[in-house]
Amino acid sequence: MALSRKARRSIVSWLLLSPLIVAVLFPFAVMFITAIKLATEVLKPTWWPSAPQWQNFVSMWEATRFGAALWNSIYVAVLSTVLSLLVSIPAAYALSRFRFTGRGFVQQFLLVSQMLSPIVLVIGLFRLLVALKMLDNLNAVVFVYATFNIAFSVWMLQSYFSTIPKDLEEAAWMEGATPWQALRRVFLPLALPAMVVTAIFSFINAWNEFVIALTMLRNQAGYTLPIQVFSLVAGRYTVEWHHVMAAAFVATIPVAIVFAWLQRYLVRGLALGAVK
Amino acid sequence: MSLHWLKVAAVGSVAAIALASAAYAQTVRVTVAEYSSKTGPYFEKAATAFEAANPGTDIQIEVVPWDVLQQKLTTDISGGANADLAIIGTRWLIDYVSQGVAAPLDGYITDEFKGRFIDTFLSPSVMDGKTYGLPIAASARAMYYNKSLFEQAGVAEPPATWEDLKGAAAKIKAIGGDVYAYGMQGKEIETDVYFYYAFWSYGGNLIDADGTSGLDTDAAYQAAELYKSLIDEGLTEPGVTSLNREDVQNLFKQGRVGMMITAPFLSSQIKDEAPDLQYGVTAIPAGPDGARGTYGVTDSIIMFENSQNKDTAWKFLDYIFTTPLRAEFTGGEGFLPVNKEVAASPAFADNADLKAFAALLPDARFAPVIPGWEEIAAVTSNALQKIYLGEGEIKATLDAAAAEIDGIIAANK
Amino acid sequence: MNRSILTNPHVLIAPAFLLAAFIILWPLFQIGEISLNSVNRFGQLKGFSGLENFAAVLSDPQFLNASWRTVVWTVGIVLGTILVSIPVAMILNEDFHGRGLARIVIMLPWAVSLTMTAIVWRWALSGESGMLNSALRGLGLIDENIQWLAQAGTAFPVQIAIGILVSIPFTTTIFLGGLSSIPDDLYEAARLEGASDWQIFVSITLPLLRPFINIAVVMNTINVFNSFPIIWATTQGGPANSTDILVTYLYKLGFSFGKLGEASALSLMMFALLLVFTILYVRLAMRGER
Repeated sequence: MALSRKARRSIVSWLLLSPLIVAVLFPFAVMFITAIKLATEVLKPTWWPSAPQWQNFVSMWEATRFGAALWNSIYVAVLSTVLSLLVSIPAAYALSRFRFTGRGFVQQFLLVSQMLSPIVLVIGLFRLLVALKMLDNLNAVVFVYATFNIAFSVWMLQSYFSTIPKDLEEAAWMEGATPWQALRRVFLPLALPAMVVTAIFSFINAWNEFVIALTMLRNQAGYTLPIQVFSLVAGRYTVEWHHVMAAAFVATIPVAIVFAWLQRYLVRGLALGAVK
Repeated sequence: MSLHWLKVAAVGSVAAIALASAAYAQTVRVTVAEYSSKTGPYFEKAATAFEAANPGTDIQIEVVPWDVLQQKLTTDISGGANADLAIIGTRWLIDYVSQGVAAPLDGYITDEFKGRFIDTFLSPSVMDGKTYGLPIAASARAMYYNKSLFEQAGVAEPPATWEDLKGAAAKIKAIGGDVYAYGMQGKEIETDVYFYYAFWSYGGNLIDADGTSGLDTDAAYQAAELYKSLIDEGLTEPGVTSLNREDVQNLFKQGRVGMMITAPFLSSQIKDEAPDLQYGVTAIPAGPDGARGTYGVTDSIIMFENSQNKDTAWKFLDYIFTTPLRAEFTGGEGFLPVNKEVAASPAFADNADLKAFAALLPDARFAPVIPGWEEIAAVTSNALQKIYLGEGEIKATLDAAAAEIDGIIAANK
Repeated sequence: MNRSILTNPHVLIAPAFLLAAFIILWPLFQIGEISLNSVNRFGQLKGFSGLENFAAVLSDPQFLNASWRTVVWTVGIVLGTILVSIPVAMILNEDFHGRGLARIVIMLPWAVSLTMTAIVWRWALSGESGMLNSALRGLGLIDENIQWLAQAGTAFPVQIAIGILVSIPFTTTIFLGGLSSIPDDLYEAARLEGASDWQIFVSITLPLLRPFINIAVVMNTINVFNSFPIIWATTQGGPANSTDILVTYLYKLGFSFGKLGEASALSLMMFALLLVFTILYVRLAMRGER
């Protein structure tokens, strides 16, 4: 009986979600089907290729230097996520645990910095990197991405940290633990879901970012995936659409895997952090 | 801790860059526009060969998608981080010259070097008697027509005038199906140029003798009326303002468009992608008085005034403008030869399509050499899109555009 | 030593603050400087010019049009996203077969760079060789190809729809977090008292979700207001500037036309606009909260 109610609910849920799911999957279907079309068939808007060309994925890998771009994207996304967490966690900890002079100022500064999007700042950012002689340097991009993620990360972590009772740490102190030990054994495990969520957000932002990478990276060997795919369509006299779509499709797979893997954390981490 | 790491990373990368520039005293960075997937490999190959022949030099090729080339060059120059050599659209050159960004090359150019070029293509890069750029890519426009569709429609000859074109278009339309007579571009780069073909045929000039826009003249009104009537009578593809040049070319490759005007590279694409297409290349139709004009375009490679390695940079230029390298590039990308020897070689001289383009060169007009041309082109394209969409009355819209253009010209004086 | 670091908030804040200040404030200062100078197309300053750049932007009719369209664009996408995401999050919060899969599918647009999504849509929306038209024709919904991007009347709504579609994952995630933090006993108690589903929604779900809605509004507004790829990849703001928003106008001004001074001035004005909106919203919407 209970099962049948759940089954009915499943049908209704899927039915209600179906229009959105169709809309969401549509671009992926377009990507996938175009990707496996014959080069001469690409321009015909048919929904099924006469003969699926699986080797397009292989030739795309070569033609678009996909491997190098994939590596660059992973490098930038992972490092910038780590860096932004490294500076955001202590800041969020301080904001959630202490009252101190300048606290309000820091919070306001972070909110304001959230509003400056890279595209608005791009000329100034470019000059900064030139002055530092860090142009065409993936590490510079890592720093910029990490910085633009700080505001959001600190704010997310702080609101979650505030929900972790201070008593727990204090109790650990009473038992003779040093603050470091208390932090490691009591606080950090409790804060893990929020950190995972924050990491996912940072990772996605870095993975998808376009404007900064476009402006700061000059050498094709350093291109990240979005730029690499963009350079296949931007102003070339002829566009190899099947390669473009194959590249775009494959580029989504790593993030989709991250989603599938960390999905449980995603909701849990957001739940308690009731955004204050 | 993390702050320390930041500092180490920053110091480390600065040191690495300093080290790199010390080791290669003769580094030449070249910003290259990406015309196709062949562009990057071609220049990499040239760089490697050059480095092998000139030990101690390091040529760094930076391939940039064409759509963002202008943006990249702008940010580069504003940050003082530009390369030593760069490909630019020759229509932008005046801005580079007037701001002292491009270096004159006359000190390096010998008579022998100058003799390699076809004059028509070198002259747009000459300003105030000095040569500021070398034509790396050259192109002109001609009309492609689909022979099978013409046959089906019973049109014997490619149209010689716009009048004929309209007649032929009506017959092609009568074939029906998803076939369109005149492929018309109405979006993105060169939307304005697509209009100039007709505009020039009616005797118009982009900039009149008095230095003001020619869009408020009868030639412009007539050309716009012609195009609008083609759209209204269903002689073009539907939704003109949503198709850029590549979209129209794609329709042509599929055999769905009777005629279109575009560049030589379409024929090399057809060879690769639609080898069975029966097509011909002919002159752009003439106006009532026999006037006609094609659009000539060159991209120039320039040397920056602030380059630290001008001599090596020049040596590299000298190298890539030798005949074998020119032939490979021009043939690979589907451009017109700028080099006399290349033009005379059988691969180019015996190519029927290219001959049609070469025959049009006496009528070739280049974008006028005035600052702010990109903005003027955008204003023109916007006005045309309004007309094509039926959102603006022809004369009023063109007059307003002309007034705006005159304002831009005055502001840049 | 351990103690002093862990209990000194200023030390803990310093790395984040300094990094953000350095990489965000310095460029902002640069842009401020450019905006007050006459500047050539390569960003070289040619002397102080006061507020001329600001005046030039303000007097451009294109600026007003783009501003108005930015309002429609932002409000349309943010509102649309919230309206779709609330029910979607409520469904995904229920326990049903395949929920994990459904969640992943709804999240998928997030896994693609917006630039790539926009390029794919541009391709799919093409009038003659686009797969959207062929799909709609195949389903018998339309007889003739629709030229989606040929005029603003169809292009702009489609662009807004794409904007909504790509904003749903983030927003739904936030709402899911909010929903799962509402204790189940609240619902049970309400049911015992005989409240209808609608009453439960209005009197329990919505009020408890409100902080999350506020966050979603602020974050989405910031993102959508500054969103560039969707419009640029599909229409570049055309035809005849009829789909330009401030960001695409900014890009044209700065990089196509080389008016870096005016572009910098516009950047600052956009920043100010967003700042004013956020402050107002935070004041108005979050006032009743505590």
